[in-house]
Amino acid sequence: MARRERFEAVVGETYDPLQRYLRRRASPPDAEDALAEILLTMWRRLDEMPRDNPLPWCYGVGRLTLANQRRGAGRRAKLMNRLAMERPMSEPEPASDQELEAALADLSEDDQELLRLWAWEQLEPREIAVALSVTPNAVSLRLGRARKRLESELRRKNHPRAGQEEAYGRKEPQ
Amino acid sequence: MSDELRNRLQSIDPMAPGVPTESVTSESSRRLLEETMAIEVGAQASDAARTGRGRWYLAVAAALALVFGGFAVFSGGGKPTGQPLELALGSSNAMASCIQFSVEILKDMPVAFEATAVDVSDGKVTLDVDHWFSGGDAESVTLNATVGSPALIGSVDFVEGEQYLITATNGTVNACGFSGPATPELRSAFEEAFPAS
Repeated sequence: MARRERFEAVVGETYDPLQRYLRRRASPPDAEDALAEILLTMWRRLDEMPRDNPLPWCYGVGRLTLANQRRGAGRRAKLMNRLAMERPMSEPEPASDQELEAALADLSEDDQELLRLWAWEQLEPREIAVALSVTPNAVSLRLGRARKRLESELRRKNHPRAGQEEAYGRKEPQ
Repeated sequence: MSDELRNRLQSIDPMAPGVPTESVTSESSRRLLEETMAIEVGAQASDAARTGRGRWYLAVAAALALVFGGFAVFSGGGKPTGQPLELALGSSNAMASCIQFSVEILKDMPVAFEATAVDVSDGKVTLDVDHWFSGGDAESVTLNATVGSPALIGSVDFVEGEQYLITATNGTVNACGFSGPATPELRSAFEEAFPAS
């Protein structure tokens, strides 16, 4: 069937990057749950999915799916009976650049997510716009600011007195 | 430079290309895909196969009374508490006509949120709020339907697991495109209308 074929083709293209997207943002069990839920949404909304470059759209589905997961523990179990994957995925490798990891963690969650989509998912602003449901112009502006804040954080960590005046965008201490 | 920063960020990617993922052709992946494709889609699509529940259509009357822990949300007396929000589906005083949808009007909506329908049954829809754009912080919202609501202007077809964007003014949920399934277009309009949220 044409629908099945198209779905299989899209999944063939997105299965690996979607798993990476989820594992960067969620624990292995949550990532597995989210993957099953995203696939269901992709299947049901296949007609809405962009034919050209569907991955950013799929990331957008993933963003909402993860937001739902964080909202209510146990809810996903009510929504669907996922088929548990039989063998666990391998654990992510530990980060080596601790200075950068710390600087990234000091940014706001919005800034972090923009930078992740840009560097880890390798998306361009117009693709990030699809994933976040905002305009490309807004992404370009926000991404530019996020990059500056990260650079400022890195400078601040290297030279604690420098870059202090640029640190207005940092996350407040918890 | 930015490319340098991008490269450096890639070096801390916990799921860099070398880290293996589940193959799409593995037995478990194939089973997951087959189960997904077994779900019926189309006009009568439902999650019945997975949840055992059927789809239930609920028409949202234009007039809704919003009650927040016993206080009217818009009275100014109710402080956000995170407690469940209850929306009663009223049956009268429906808006006489639709205002054409615009982001400018959306901006003025005192209550606006995105939520997922988690339970749809017996004249009641329970929504878990995913995001408040304006006017509250409840984590859960319940819509109680009134049987025989007249003068329906817009209707929302609630399906478990689906997301909705809902606005309300003066205790009245706004139809006419100001509430409905969370399509990318509607969500984009909400994000434009409530940029700081």
